[in-house]
Amino acid sequence: MKLLRTFILPRIVQYLIVIFVGITLTFLIPRLSPINPVDNALGRLTAFQTMSPEATVALRESLMDLYGLNGNLLQQYFSFWKRVVAFDLGPSFTVFPTPVTKLIGSSIGWTIGLLSLSIVIAWILGLILGTLAGFFPNSWWARTMENSLIVVYPIPYYIVAFVLLMLLTYYLPIFPLVGGSKGAPGFTWSYLSSLVYYGFLPALSLIIGGVAFRFIISKALTSTERSSDYVRFAEMAALPKHKILFSYLIRNTLLPQVTDLGLSLGLIFEGALITEAVYGYPGIGSLLLSAINSADYNVIMGITLLSIFGIATASLLVDLSYPLIDPRVRYS
Amino acid sequence: MQGDAIVEAKDLKAYYITKAYGVERTVKAVDDISVSIKAGEVYGLAGESGCGKSTLLKVLLGDFQPPLTVVEGSVAYDFEGQTKDATKLSEQDKRDIRWNKVSYIPQGSMHVLNPVRRIQDTFHDFITTHKGTSKSQSYDMTRKYLRDLGLPEKVMRSYPHQLSGGMRQRVTIALATILWPKLIFADEPTTALDVVVQRGVIQLLKDIQQKEGSTVVLITHDLGVHANLADRIGVLYAGKLVEEAPTRTILKSPKHPYTQFLINSLPTFEERSAREGIPGRPPALDHPPSGCRFHPRCPMAIAKCSSIEPKMLELSPGHRAACHLLEEPNHAAA
Repeated sequence: MKLLRTFILPRIVQYLIVIFVGITLTFLIPRLSPINPVDNALGRLTAFQTMSPEATVALRESLMDLYGLNGNLLQQYFSFWKRVVAFDLGPSFTVFPTPVTKLIGSSIGWTIGLLSLSIVIAWILGLILGTLAGFFPNSWWARTMENSLIVVYPIPYYIVAFVLLMLLTYYLPIFPLVGGSKGAPGFTWSYLSSLVYYGFLPALSLIIGGVAFRFIISKALTSTERSSDYVRFAEMAALPKHKILFSYLIRNTLLPQVTDLGLSLGLIFEGALITEAVYGYPGIGSLLLSAINSADYNVIMGITLLSIFGIATASLLVDLSYPLIDPRVRYS
Repeated sequence: MQGDAIVEAKDLKAYYITKAYGVERTVKAVDDISVSIKAGEVYGLAGESGCGKSTLLKVLLGDFQPPLTVVEGSVAYDFEGQTKDATKLSEQDKRDIRWNKVSYIPQGSMHVLNPVRRIQDTFHDFITTHKGTSKSQSYDMTRKYLRDLGLPEKVMRSYPHQLSGGMRQRVTIALATILWPKLIFADEPTTALDVVVQRGVIQLLKDIQQKEGSTVVLITHDLGVHANLADRIGVLYAGKLVEEAPTRTILKSPKHPYTQFLINSLPTFEERSAREGIPGRPPALDHPPSGCRFHPRCPMAIAKCSSIEPKMLELSPGHRAACHLLEEPNHAAA
């Protein structure tokens, strides 16, 4: 009960405040911008065809309504909240009148699948390799690994992605150039294997950088922890190496790493803009890119709200899981 | 090896040898030290910071890695006729000897308990490594031992951060001695604790030592602690043993000028005058002074002190010191 009152409740309140502020800012920022989405949309529509003034006015009225721009700022703000709570983010402009929620809904699955898998794989691989390299710093394999990953790490991500794309789809056409799958969706072998086949390159490009980053961090954390008093003492007492590695080293280096994992999982909802653009992957990133290119405000807004929600939820979950892994948080 | 010695170091030289950018640097932290520690005694090692106390301890424990290298000499353990060279322990030897026979109590200021593990689980890790016990057996042993030492049983379910500094050190001492080792090395066990807590920790060490008659090698710069616990005291200066005698003898009539300074700098109840410090500072051990290493700071130095290294002299049974002034009785520094 005490835990609930002193630990869980304040964090949930904080979570709600973060979401409230985030959504309010999302509402305000486009309204502070000098670009009026309705004018923009009208401009596009009337660029190629002439419309009667009455039709233009009628269109303007209905667009104002669709974008929630009727009334003064306060009224707009309330109706904005009403729509957020009802999950009604209005129609997309480019694929009118498909609702934004439906657009996001159809691409979110791709992004979640691709990103959560590659983030988790990169995290686990980097953590294990980095910890082992930190635990056996003088072995040849640890040094080889460190040297090669340190070379990979600073290469900008888009270069890694393009090099992989060129090598493995153009020069050696092993993998497909664009898309997320082949065939009709369903629990069939051919569809599921095509998911892996199409997702392999984008995932690989994300995993390479992720592993390098996690490796460097894990190795540094492990080397520091290795020379700590309690590890030295356990070594002095001749505790078995695996015991020291798992219960003493990893158990302690894990604490900051879990935070990191949680936060990077929260970023999923923003999509992997560059990956999805380079590999033509049908996820949130591609949707966002095309929405930005066509000034599709409702879609941009929807993705922004989603990522606010995602990051806030991820940090809440990380916070709430901390007492499970760190007794010092549990009791203070 | 003397008959009743449990650990004996002979002509021990342990240097830190480092090489950076092609420049080799040698720090002679332990230089030609011979000590013999008898079974059942409390042997105190005293000296300033940087005199080689902790290095000597590492070598005596057989726990050292490069850059620390044993250049010469040996450290022999003798457990009821079974001898082992501490400088050449295999992993298997370490598992057999450590905690079962030889144990180590670290500095009071160190964080030697795993912060994310309950005390009882840390005890289990240490016990089961050497005894192969199950969890409940380890818990039972721990509970019984803590009760014997008069420590509260509830610390078992605690995490280290929930204990006070003094309690943490007492738990650490219990953790180090749970398997009743014959030989206990204690490195500054009371440092960083306040005086009241210090007394409790010293009492605990005394109890453990007396219960099983184990041998304790106690390292501290605090002569007060030595006076309290040690049977014999060895004084180190700049990597060398300069004097060794039973505690009473050395406190009453120290012979080496350095020991005299060390003891005279202690506050006493009778005399409330300012204490005199030792002039100068301890030398760096990569280029120690020639001859007697104390001569640059010694007010009584004579000509040969700066060129000839003094030999250990047996002054009376069990009392030895290395000083040129003691070679000719009429110059005796006392």
